[in-house]
Formats: sequence, C-alpha cells, structure tokens
Amino acid sequence: MPIGQLLVEGLAIGACYGLFATAVVIIYKTSEVVNFAQGEMAMFSSFVAFHILSAYQYPFWLAFVITMLFSILLGILIEFLFLRPAKHPSILGMIVITLGAEMFLMGLASWKWGAEQKFFSLPLNPSVTYEPIKGMIINNWAIAVFAVTACIMLFLYIFFKFTKLGVAMRATQQNKHAAKIMGIRTERVFSFAWGFSSLIGAVAGMFFASRATLDPAFMMEPFLRAFAAAVLGGLMSIPGVIIGGALMGLIENFFGYFWPHWKPIIAFIVIILVLCLRPSGLFTKHYVKKV
Amino acid sequence: MFINKEDAMIFKKKWVVLWIAVWAVLCLAPVAPAATPAGFDDNEIRIGQWGPQTGPAAPWGSVARGSKLLFDIVNEEGGIHGRKIKYFIRDDMYNPAQTVGVVKELVERQGVFAFVGGVGSATGMAVKDYLAANKIIWVGPSAADQDFIQPLNPYLFAVYPLYRDEANVLTKYIVENLKMKKIGILYQNDAYGKDGLEGAKERLATYKMSLVAEIPVEPTEKDFASQVLRLKNSGAEAVLMYVGVPTSVIVVKTAANVGFKPQWVAANTCSDYPLMFKISGGLWEGVITGSFGELPDSKNPLMVKYREAAKRLSPQERWGVFYYAGILFADPLVEALKKVGRNLSTDAVVKALNAFKDYQTIGPKITWTDKQHQGTDSVTIQKCGPNGSSIQLQDWTTNDMATWKK
Repeated sequence: MPIGQLLVEGLAIGACYGLFATAVVIIYKTSEVVNFAQGEMAMFSSFVAFHILSAYQYPFWLAFVITMLFSILLGILIEFLFLRPAKHPSILGMIVITLGAEMFLMGLASWKWGAEQKFFSLPLNPSVTYEPIKGMIINNWAIAVFAVTACIMLFLYIFFKFTKLGVAMRATQQNKHAAKIMGIRTERVFSFAWGFSSLIGAVAGMFFASRATLDPAFMMEPFLRAFAAAVLGGLMSIPGVIIGGALMGLIENFFGYFWPHWKPIIAFIVIILVLCLRPSGLFTKHYVKKV
Repeated sequence: MFINKEDAMIFKKKWVVLWIAVWAVLCLAPVAPAATPAGFDDNEIRIGQWGPQTGPAAPWGSVARGSKLLFDIVNEEGGIHGRKIKYFIRDDMYNPAQTVGVVKELVERQGVFAFVGGVGSATGMAVKDYLAANKIIWVGPSAADQDFIQPLNPYLFAVYPLYRDEANVLTKYIVENLKMKKIGILYQNDAYGKDGLEGAKERLATYKMSLVAEIPVEPTEKDFASQVLRLKNSGAEAVLMYVGVPTSVIVVKTAANVGFKPQWVAANTCSDYPLMFKISGGLWEGVITGSFGELPDSKNPLMVKYREAAKRLSPQERWGVFYYAGILFADPLVEALKKVGRNLSTDAVVKALNAFKDYQTIGPKITWTDKQHQGTDSVTIQKCGPNGSSIQLQDWTTNDMATWKK
C-alpha cells in the first residue's frame, strides 16, 4: 500500500478543501449565512482568469492579479445587489437568496463561455514530480497548494488578531448591534467579508480547475466537500476548517484506496458521526443559550 | 343609456339570440379530440430530436445539430419524393423530465412523424414507451442501452454499438495486439460503466485471464488520486476507462501527477480527440479509444461531401465526431423514406427499416430485421495523435461474442 503517496494526495486535496471552506467560514462568521453561491463565485472568477489568459494572452501573474480584483468586486456586488436589499430576512431567506445567486452565476457563465469543458492550467508542469522519501511522490500542484494555504492562514491569523478591520469583523460577528453602537460600520464589514471570501474562494477555485476541467458546474462537488469540511471542523473556526479539510482528504483517500465504492460517501458518514457527538464540529465550542 | 323601453327590449333580445347561437355552436359541434397531426403532408415530413443544447451535457448537443446538416442537404437536393423535411430540435438539458415535456410537445402539437438521435440513456428511457405507444418511429438513439433493444420495440431502431460489445473488442485488441496481460478498468458506477466492465470480463475469460483492478467511480467526483494509486499499485499495463469526459481527463492528469503511465484505452464517448487533447493539456495523446464513425478527415466520399456541406451550411460548427454522429444516426431514416416512395406511412417505413442489410454510410454496417433492432456490433479502434489528430489502428471489427445476437 502506498501510504506515503496516499498521505501526500490526501493532504493536498484536503488543503484545497480547507482553503475553500475558509471562504465559506469568513462569510458565516460575520453574517451567519451559509453562502451556497460560494462555489459558483469561485467558478466565475476562474472563468475570468481563463478568459484573460486565453483571449488576451496576458502573463499568468497579471491574469491572477486582475482575477483577484475581479473576485473581490464580485463578492461585494453579490452582497450589495442580492443580500442587502432584502428587508429583515430570516436565515432561511438569506440562504434562498444565495441559491438564487448561484443559479444566476451558473447561467451567466454557461451563456458567456458555453458548457463545454475548458483547459485551465497554473504555470506548473504537472508531470514534474519529486520523491523526497521513497514512495512519497510530490508534484508541483501539491507543493503550490500547501504553500498558498499556509500563506493565507498566516495572513488570516495576523489579520483577525492584529488589524482594526479584523477586530471589527470579529466584533460584528459576536454582536452586530453592539458593534454598530461602538461605531463600526457593519454594512462595510459585510461587504469586506464577502469580497475577502470571494478572493480566497477564487484562489481555491483555480487550484480545483487546474486539477480537473473548467466548466460552469465544476465547483458543485468541491463546494459540498468543502462545506462538509467546514462543518466537521466547526463553522466558526478557521484553523478548525483547515484541519477538517485535511481530515476529509485523508479519510477519502485511505478509504477510497481500499473501498472505492465508499469513497464518495465515507467522509459524510464520518461527519454525521462527529456531529452526533460534537454538534458544533471538532474545533468550536458548543454554546447552549439559557433562557 | 337606452332611449326607451323598446330599445332596451331589442338589445336584450339580441343578446339572448347571440347566447343561444354560441351555446348551439358549442353543443352541436362535433365532439372530437384535437387530432394528432399525421406527421407529414404533401409538402413536408416532420422529424424531431431532443438533445442538451444547454447545461452540463451541452457538448453532446452537437449531435442534434449534425442531424440538421443532413436534413438541410436533403432539402437542398429537392427533398424526398417531393416532400421537404421540417426538422425540430428541442433542448431537454439532459434532464429526463424535460425530455418527456419536449417529446410530448413535438408529438401532440407539432405532429412529428419520427425522431432521430436523442442524447442519453435516461432521457431516452423516459420517452421510449410513450413513443412506442404512439407508433412514432425512433431511429438511432444517441446512446447504447440494452433496454432500448430488448425486448423488441417495433418502432425503435438502434445504430449505436453497445458498450459491452465495444469493451469486448477493445480488450481483445489490448491482449492480442498490444500483448498486455495486466489490464485494469475504471468504470462509471451505472449502466454505461457496468456494460463496459461486463464486456471486458467476457473477453478476458476466453483467455483465462481476469482484471487486475476493477474500480468504480461516481460521475460527479473530482478527485481520483486514491483510485489512480490503486491502479498503479495493481501493476496494470493497460487501463480501460468507461467513464465520462471530465472524469477521464482528471484521471489522466492525476496519473501524470503521481508518475503512472499505463496505456489508456477509453470508450467511444471520449473519442472527440481535438476536445480531449485540448482539455487535458495534451495528455490525451496516445490514448486509444473505440469509435462508431469514420475518422474526421476520412477520404470516404460521403464524409468529404458532408464535410464540405458543413463548411457551407454550418460554418460555425466544429467538425467533431459528435457533430457528424448526428448525420450517422439520422441517415437510415432518410434512406428508408427514399425507399418507401410517395405513399408514405409509418408501417411502410418500419417495413423498409426492417429490411436493412449491411447498410453502410459513414458508420458501421447496419442490419435490422423484424426480430432484431440492434443494428451493429462493430467499432473501429483509433488512437489520439499529435495535436488531437486521429490515427486509425483497426478497421471495423465485430464482436464475435455479442450476446444480443443469440
């Protein structure tokens, strides 16, 4: 059994799930909305990167920067156009609005780029591999995923701990009304959270697209897995979702190796078991409101 | 306002008379259901096809547009015995519920005489019985499903070779021509994939061999690292793939990432080489597939004719294998309509189709009888060359173990 290889592959795809789950959690932490359009926002940004690369032949770094700016704008626009106009919506209402946004983005991408699969590549040669330890082959894609995820995690730690905006986001999440009274412009915080989440989602989306193919439906499955990883780790904890993603990738790969029939569902079975024992996930405290 | 009582009375009387007249017309009019149009008249024959023009399966929507090219050519040449073909394409988004809706609309409102093509097993199964009940001819479903042909449906004529037959022929090629003994398979966990698995097993049993790895996958999965590692660890020299287009591309990419380089052999569903080459970043080169049509650049006179017509009539379309598959699936119906002559009827066309023997245009030889409506068990074997070009490895090959013939 190629244990080392399964470990590398499991952790790499797990890091990707974790990264994408972070995008889900950033919105959930500030507004308590599960954004079901997250996958399609990432898909749309990946298509923009593809379009810049294929139609304008720009170098990758420039396409990446433009795509990041676009993804921030997309997140802010969706919050501004879809969620903000809703008058006192319930959580369920907000979720339905994000589902609408999801369908809108998918339709728009199908119309603009068609449903045929596209090739999307990072500037990495997929066939170049390294074998630091015998039996443990690591490729450029996995190295890039590990490096980018580590950088984003470090940035998020510093951002939430030491910056005014990060503290404002945490304050808004804990008590929106108190934050308003303290002079925090909560609507701007929401816009920022959506833009920031969209940016991280776009990075993860490009990793998924380069591993698979690019089409308007390509983020549906990764979104479900990332959402499951977020639930597993705890929807309020960013380190938790990264560990949740890694666990998800490892469980899937080790089970998938021995029992391929079970691969698509095993992670969800584990999650159900975990949630039965710890309803808030592995890394979030479970608060019970007392009346 | 009325000037006097008399005017008011006259007005009332007029209304009463009008009401009586309307009721009389409604009650006395012959009570008959809206008659289903006959499917043809002196000037036209109405033919329909469903297919995904939008949604995730839209790349296969070119089948329906390929059939349109054939009908446009027929009409340009004067039609069939004085009748032009009126062709209807409906987008079902690869969704069986929508297929039912669009097919009913075409049958009951537009009054189509026959259907051709129709992408998808599930979509076809959703309307198969409805079409048979309405005695609507359906030629060349764009899917290979044993349930289309068994039990015999008198109005359904299949052109597409069964995946089971194709897998059998491909396995024979791997063992006898490539001299490979260790064969693994990656199959989609549904009727399509399982048919491929059965075909491979059937052929290997004749060599007293078995598969070194049988790995099912779900079509929605996006990560196949563990499955690829299992194939690698099995020592497979050749890997058969009965999976969808995105899955096969992800698998080949993942294999390159973990240093696994077997001979990939895939189903005809992945035989659109220019597309496969492009979306795999060139990794599709060297992959062998089955095919139910001629090579895209074939010198076959009919292929040359259709290729030239496509440039003229549909310059926006890419001359891909699924586009001209639409011609191949619709062609037998045109031939049958020509044979029947001016005295057109469903029974006459069915009779003409049942008499097809070794009929060949740009696909395999088709033979139908009144007891057997699976037209062929033949495929060609091709290989993806540089830049998505096609290389013919083996001409039309029949499956000598085809179970449906027995």
